[in-house]
Amino acid sequence: MPFGTRHRARASRGRLSPFRSLTLAVLAIALSATAGGLAYYLPAAYTAWKMTSQRVDVPSPSPAEILFSPSPTPSPVTPGAFTVLLLGSDDDDKFLRKDQVLTQSMILVRITPATKRVVMISIPRDLYVPLSVGGSGKISDAYAYGGAAAAIATVQNNFGVHIDEYIWVGLLGLVNVIDRLGGVDVVTSNPVLDDYYPDDIAVGNPYGYKRVAVLAGPQHLNGRAAMEYVRSRHSDLQSDFGRSKRQQHVLTAIRQKAKLLSPEDVPSLATAIGGEVKTSIGPDRVARLLPLAASFDNPDSIEQYVLASPYTRGGAPGHSLFPNWYLINQLVRKYFP
Amino acid sequence: MIPRFLLAGGLAILMLVTGVTSYLYMGTRQSRIAAPIQKPVTVTPKPQAFTLPGTLYITQAGAIYSLSAGRFHQLTAEDGWMQPSANPEGGLIAVKRSPMFSDVYSMTRLGQVTAQLTNNQAAPRDRWDPGANSWAFYPRLSPDGRTLWVSYDGPKYVNYGDPIYEVDLAVWAVPPGAPIRQGRMWTDANGYTGGDVQPVPVAGGAIIYTKYSYDNDYNRVGQLWYTNRARSSGRPLTPQAASCAQPSISPDGGSIAMICTGGKQVSNLVIASWNGASLGELRTVISDQLVAQPAWAPDGSGIAYLAPGSAGGFQLWFLPKNAYNPPAPSPLPTPTPTPGGPHNGPLPSPTPSPLPTPPVIKPIRLFPDLNLGLDATSPIVWVS
Repeated sequence: MPFGTRHRARASRGRLSPFRSLTLAVLAIALSATAGGLAYYLPAAYTAWKMTSQRVDVPSPSPAEILFSPSPTPSPVTPGAFTVLLLGSDDDDKFLRKDQVLTQSMILVRITPATKRVVMISIPRDLYVPLSVGGSGKISDAYAYGGAAAAIATVQNNFGVHIDEYIWVGLLGLVNVIDRLGGVDVVTSNPVLDDYYPDDIAVGNPYGYKRVAVLAGPQHLNGRAAMEYVRSRHSDLQSDFGRSKRQQHVLTAIRQKAKLLSPEDVPSLATAIGGEVKTSIGPDRVARLLPLAASFDNPDSIEQYVLASPYTRGGAPGHSLFPNWYLINQLVRKYFP
Repeated sequence: MIPRFLLAGGLAILMLVTGVTSYLYMGTRQSRIAAPIQKPVTVTPKPQAFTLPGTLYITQAGAIYSLSAGRFHQLTAEDGWMQPSANPEGGLIAVKRSPMFSDVYSMTRLGQVTAQLTNNQAAPRDRWDPGANSWAFYPRLSPDGRTLWVSYDGPKYVNYGDPIYEVDLAVWAVPPGAPIRQGRMWTDANGYTGGDVQPVPVAGGAIIYTKYSYDNDYNRVGQLWYTNRARSSGRPLTPQAASCAQPSISPDGGSIAMICTGGKQVSNLVIASWNGASLGELRTVISDQLVAQPAWAPDGSGIAYLAPGSAGGFQLWFLPKNAYNPPAPSPLPTPTPTPGGPHNGPLPSPTPSPLPTPPVIKPIRLFPDLNLGLDATSPIVWVS
């Protein structure tokens, strides 16, 4: 082969036709655009993977627990309805082990998509009950002793309900989520004033106090103000019960605001949440539940109960509360299978 | 034909640019759920925009603004300022809130502070105890300017070194600028309710205020009360079940606007007639918004209030008078019989024309393009 022909052949092998080049360019654009999009969602997907689908092995109740636990006749099961246990914990700097914290807030939630009805029952943290991990104590101790599994088992055993899913939220998680939502619009029921509110978030000394005044009426609360509203208990005749009612106010407001979320908000929301939320609900179910939350428009369709007197009474060990199982079972049986 | 090395380099750059652009684009597609609030002074009045008569004073992020002829002016720095109210001698009084206490100041209409009217800062009882400080909220001056009505949580007692956890606001009457000990506690707050707030002076040295109490189910609810004597709760003006607050008296003194929640996460705009001693029937005017801080126009043309926009955060709204006080329908014109035609037969019976349906007057959102994010715990002041 003459030299010129060989050179042209080599040169031809080193070049691509415009059609092939264009095809490659289109492919490259498609690939890199997809990669860019994936990179955007990757941290969120990782966080979502870490915090969702938390597997909990709920221990079966012992024969003794079955014998002594109330066994209500369950309400009829509505297709699609499910029960969630919401757990909230103070996990500020005072707590060295973030997985051994008390649950300051326990709310049983029954969601019936078919009727767009939500029932929330706040369980007092000081309720004196047999714990699933053994012995008796305040129901808030269960999580500290055995994590979500122990908390779920304790509620299931004592209340005779079946819990389908759980969500645990840490103190900072709630603050960050509300801030990431741009704050929430809440009707605060009354002025909440507290001269000895724990000043334990992002401060050097987590044992200090500060004064808090959340004024009454409709208002926009950022994460910290919302936390002050739901967490303060000194200036409340009902102490923990009043706090439970306020927690339900803020939960309702979060649900209202979450209706405006779009999928593109997920990464920043996941970043804000960090490790402050754990749930047994899988990402696919979370995706299905978000539009469902948006469809619950009627405020009258959300029923809220707090197990104050006569459901509970004081006098139990360590300033805890004795449950009135007769009344509690009547209420629980009405709404929970 | 394109050389391969050139193509490879070009594609690498293209992929890098596309990938980064795609990443950034996804970021820009976030909803405006957490849209930052915009300072009112960024508003440029539009020639055709709806403007309110007189001057309004509103609060955003710790700063007080005036709104006049569609233009905002920032009166104070963002420094904890809130709850302005009109000074009958001209200017304003307002609260300046610090983390541990709050005080009332008087200022000119341009925001220049002229005097500090309360002094609620206290030295800590010890290193950890901030409970000696006090709050002062919802200040109002009497029409003669000689009495400052304020919600105050002092004086603070010491229980042999143990902290006292009960903190309730009570309405006090204090000579402006005088120490609180020269004032009088005017109302007795119900314990552990948050107390008595939002005093509004009315004729005869009396006040209307909001009192919080527990209902039979231990829910805390607000009620408008009237009292004309110190240390007397007076009498309730609204039912407990309605849970009403934030009273605002019309310029002619004949009506009161308020918000009522019924103890739920809703907030309706409610108005009622007022004869100086009792309220008429409560009439809900707006029930589909989270209404806060109603304020009557000084010329009686409507009510301004705060309510969230579509993405949350409180915005400024105006409800024209016709929406809550529609004009009486004009009398029907008497039908004029017309001749029955060439046969002069019986006249056709006149068919009454149907009453024209009055147009539905809707609230108007001012500055709909802005996320004002106004402080809904601060009343709107509206002066002519």
